[in-house]
Amino acid sequence: MRGSRLFGAAAILCGLLAPGFASVAMTQQQGGTLRVTHRDNPPSASILEEATISTDMPFMAVFNNLVVFDPESPVNRLDRIVPDLATSWAWSDDNRTLTFQLHHNVTWHDGKPFTSADVKCTWDMLTGKTDSKLRKNPRKTWWFNIKDVATDGDDKVVFHLKDPQPSIMAMFASGFAPVYPCHVPANQMRTHPIGTGPFMFKEFKQNESIKLVRNPNYWKPGKPYLDAIEYTIIPNRATMVLAMVTGKFNLTFTGELTPQLMKDIQQQAPSLQCVMQSTNTQGNLLVNRERPPFDNPLIRKAMTLAIDRKAFSDILSQGAYPVGGANLPPPEGFWGWSKEYMETVPGYGADVEKSREEARKIMRSLGYGPDHLLPLKVTTRNIQDYRDAAVILIDHLKTIYIQAELEPIDTSVWYARLLRKDFSVAMNIQGTGTDDPDVQFFENYLCGSERNYTSYCNPELEKKFHEQSMMQDIDARRKLVWEIDKQLQEDGARPVVFFAEAGTCWWPRVHGIRIARNTIYNHWRFEDVWLDQ
Amino acid sequence: MFLYFLRRLGLMVFTLFGVSIAIFLLLRIAPGNIADILFDSAGMIDPAEKQKIISDLGLDQPLVIQYLHWLNGLVHGDFGYSYVSEKPVLQEVLPRIPITARLALLAILFAVCTGVPVGVVSAVRQNSAIDYVLRVFSLAALSMPAFWLGLLVLMAFVNWAGVLPIYDQAPDSLWAALLMFGVPAATVGLRSSALIMRLTRSSMLEVMRQDYIRTARSKGLSEPAVTFIHALRNAMLPVITTIGVETAFLFGGLVVTETVFNIPGVARFLVEAIRWRDYPMVQNLVMFIATVVVAVNLLVDLTYAIVDPRIRLGS
Amino acid sequence: MSELIYLARRYPLGVAGGLILVVFVFVAIFANAIAPLDPLTTNPKASLAPPGNTYLLGADMMGRDVLSRLIHGARISLAVALGATLIGSGLGALLGLASGYVGGWFDLVVQRLAEIMQSLPLLVMALVITASLGPSLTNTIIAIAIPLIPNVARVIRANVLSLRELNYVEAARAIGMRNSRIALLHVMPNTLAPLIVLATAQLGSTILTEASLSFLGLGVPEPYPSWGRMLSESAAEYMRSAPWLVIFPGVAISLVVFGANLFGDALRDYLDPRMGD
Repeated sequence: MRGSRLFGAAAILCGLLAPGFASVAMTQQQGGTLRVTHRDNPPSASILEEATISTDMPFMAVFNNLVVFDPESPVNRLDRIVPDLATSWAWSDDNRTLTFQLHHNVTWHDGKPFTSADVKCTWDMLTGKTDSKLRKNPRKTWWFNIKDVATDGDDKVVFHLKDPQPSIMAMFASGFAPVYPCHVPANQMRTHPIGTGPFMFKEFKQNESIKLVRNPNYWKPGKPYLDAIEYTIIPNRATMVLAMVTGKFNLTFTGELTPQLMKDIQQQAPSLQCVMQSTNTQGNLLVNRERPPFDNPLIRKAMTLAIDRKAFSDILSQGAYPVGGANLPPPEGFWGWSKEYMETVPGYGADVEKSREEARKIMRSLGYGPDHLLPLKVTTRNIQDYRDAAVILIDHLKTIYIQAELEPIDTSVWYARLLRKDFSVAMNIQGTGTDDPDVQFFENYLCGSERNYTSYCNPELEKKFHEQSMMQDIDARRKLVWEIDKQLQEDGARPVVFFAEAGTCWWPRVHGIRIARNTIYNHWRFEDVWLDQ
Repeated sequence: MFLYFLRRLGLMVFTLFGVSIAIFLLLRIAPGNIADILFDSAGMIDPAEKQKIISDLGLDQPLVIQYLHWLNGLVHGDFGYSYVSEKPVLQEVLPRIPITARLALLAILFAVCTGVPVGVVSAVRQNSAIDYVLRVFSLAALSMPAFWLGLLVLMAFVNWAGVLPIYDQAPDSLWAALLMFGVPAATVGLRSSALIMRLTRSSMLEVMRQDYIRTARSKGLSEPAVTFIHALRNAMLPVITTIGVETAFLFGGLVVTETVFNIPGVARFLVEAIRWRDYPMVQNLVMFIATVVVAVNLLVDLTYAIVDPRIRLGS
Repeated sequence: MSELIYLARRYPLGVAGGLILVVFVFVAIFANAIAPLDPLTTNPKASLAPPGNTYLLGADMMGRDVLSRLIHGARISLAVALGATLIGSGLGALLGLASGYVGGWFDLVVQRLAEIMQSLPLLVMALVITASLGPSLTNTIIAIAIPLIPNVARVIRANVLSLRELNYVEAARAIGMRNSRIALLHVMPNTLAPLIVLATAQLGSTILTEASLSFLGLGVPEPYPSWGRMLSESAAEYMRSAPWLVIFPGVAISLVVFGANLFGDALRDYLDPRMGD
């Protein structure tokens, strides 16, 4: 501690001298505490057990992955992945075996050595091989293709896959796939996590703060630069905005500033640096195809045609939210439709009035009209973002003889309701951990999959899900993904309405923050971040 | 006196027993349990995993068993573990109590220090312009939502002072603590201050009409002396009454004030615990609050008897 | 007429409060006719529009007219205030009347129940009840009404106890009148004055409780434009660049509660000068 303080003093001295030497000014300074706002109390500290950014962002710096997305690339891409705990990796000729060579001399924060056994242990747990120590395992579907994991000495680990799956690298690189220590029990990981990462867990006070301190023995020499990271939990967004503007904090929590709020905060403090990112959430319409009259595909089609996606984007975000299919569209996303391709998809054309006329024609053919409105309830979660979207949806359905009423559901029973399929029409906002078609398709559109709330099932298309998953050529794969996505929208599987975006801001004294535009879940390791003091 | 005290103590235990049943049942009526909420944050539900959590926590047992289990723990000083943090309830709650207590005490202090003098002035100058203005002000203070006032105060501080009086880390000195808690305490105490002012005024008016003031005056005591020595003593009753009435009410104000000023106290924590259906947390916190409220009321009644012997006990 | 002038002279503040309440009720009843725009219609072009010609008091984040929302919000506040006060005071009065008049074990049970309820802070109780019942206008009213019951019950009970011993009640009993008849004909009318005073005093606090509940994310849900809801969530985030979103709903709440308090004060002086101030 004393040593680091000395170092800090030296760094300050460097900072004072810096103006004279422009090049020196940009070298990293050691020391300082990065103060970050936090939006909400995380349910636990265990990243593997949670699917919320509230856990992912603060605790990512405690861990390392096998591999990570290249922070230099502004978009997380499958072909831009770099080593982390793995020094290198190799595919077998049949693309079914993936071997990682691991770093030597890495230790856990409690001093125990990190070995290949820890990697095996982590994925055995995630695939449900070992009697799961995890309380819940929200991303089990990510790893459905893993047949088994084997160690080869302490420094090598081999994954055997059922089928070739290039995308599995994207999951390994996600912030949601840290390597856990074998020797620490799961309940301790929820309250006091142990990792190999640049920062060590110090304290987590419920509803108050999360504190991390520098790992002095970090295996990447010279890193990290910060002495500590402190998150202060401020659930009230109004208070958070004021706290940020007055300079009490260096960095806002990611995904918290709506496009308008980001504009607003930048006007109040013009020197703030802000980046807009996809929050990996999409608003979509769930129509229960088992409940009459929605078992009739014509009604579902009419509803799809009535949606004016641009209006959603305009009202919710002043036009900042992109419009697309199941996959996040470019430039943020990698797998979504191009603008030109999107124009060819029904319901995505520029002429909304024309689509709605067609929808009204369908409704009239089914016996509905101005004197015979179809009454329905739009079920949604009782949270502002959901309700706002549902209010707009109701507005749009009005144009095709549907008289809808809002049914807000307590957030505590929302997923249970969806799972029971206890709704007719629901406005849903759905998060996806990583921008990858495998995750998108297998999680939400597979016949009988758990999160397939609308019971959509198309066996023909399902074959194509597997086909694209095995493709090695990224460009060819992207073409197929576009086609599948188009089919999904034509079938009205789960009409996608908008992709949410949000801003992250920091003061210019914070250096080295590099984040990607298609995710909020990655790049929070902070090992390259330093403070200008 | 002692018998009265014993009887009150017995009633207090009975009341708290009733509170325990009420809160226990109310929480069980609320839709969803901790398992639902845990999966909610994970955006998924696996029925098998969910069932495991439910049975691990004993939520599938009959309500009576669950209740008796909790009660048994309470009697033996075992408050259980928080469902969310998996830490002992006591360990979660204890560090927060001084924070809220400090805030509440400062708020009451503020209320007394502003309410009593203003009430006295208002009474002495009865029906004058200043009396009217003060009365209207006190009513206005009673009419503003505490959280709105808090937001306005925050905004004013940011705009005119460029600082934000919120809790961002534990204060390291008494002075820092006073600064940090002062503004929210004043915000939440304003309401109590208005109440004390009104009660002080009315009891002062009553007292001033009474004989012994007249006697004092006729004995040649100067006007301010009469007012402040004799009358003020009688203002103690309204202050005590308000403290009794307001302990419960103040807590409601603290819930929103702690949210706006981001103070990690008991009140905000309770709201969060309700949201998570963290039964052990909510149940024990509510029991704690109820105990404080009941105890304060008992103390207030006893103080009454000491301050004003005219009030007979036990009636 | 002359009496009105007398009242206005005697209780100027009370009359002012009464006027505020009359305007408030009028606005709530004729909201549809008064509101210049639809309170729910969104308009992306008007997002956070400052007060001006089209949007007299500005527009919110979704481009909805603040004035129209305030006007329609008066309905919610009125519904909550009236509903909760009537239910709370009604039930409380009945319980108080019964327990004071019947006495015995019934009285004991009611008193203990009241004590139990009173040892929980009002907002905490309302919080737990709204969480239990789920978000809706009716449930919000119930959640706010229930905590009011014990207070009313106790005041009415005390009043009944003192009335019981009065001569004419004794006389009624002496001539063989049935208990329920005595309670309804003689005791109840005499508890009306304190009941009205109590109920008016609570009008304001019900509105404040609703606002606090909405601020905490419970309370009356969208699409109802409740005043408390208008102040919470996205509104407050823009309070520096769009202060009208925070100032106007807050002023509306404070003004109506202020009116109710002024009126209640004067009413108490008028009906029962002994009761305080």
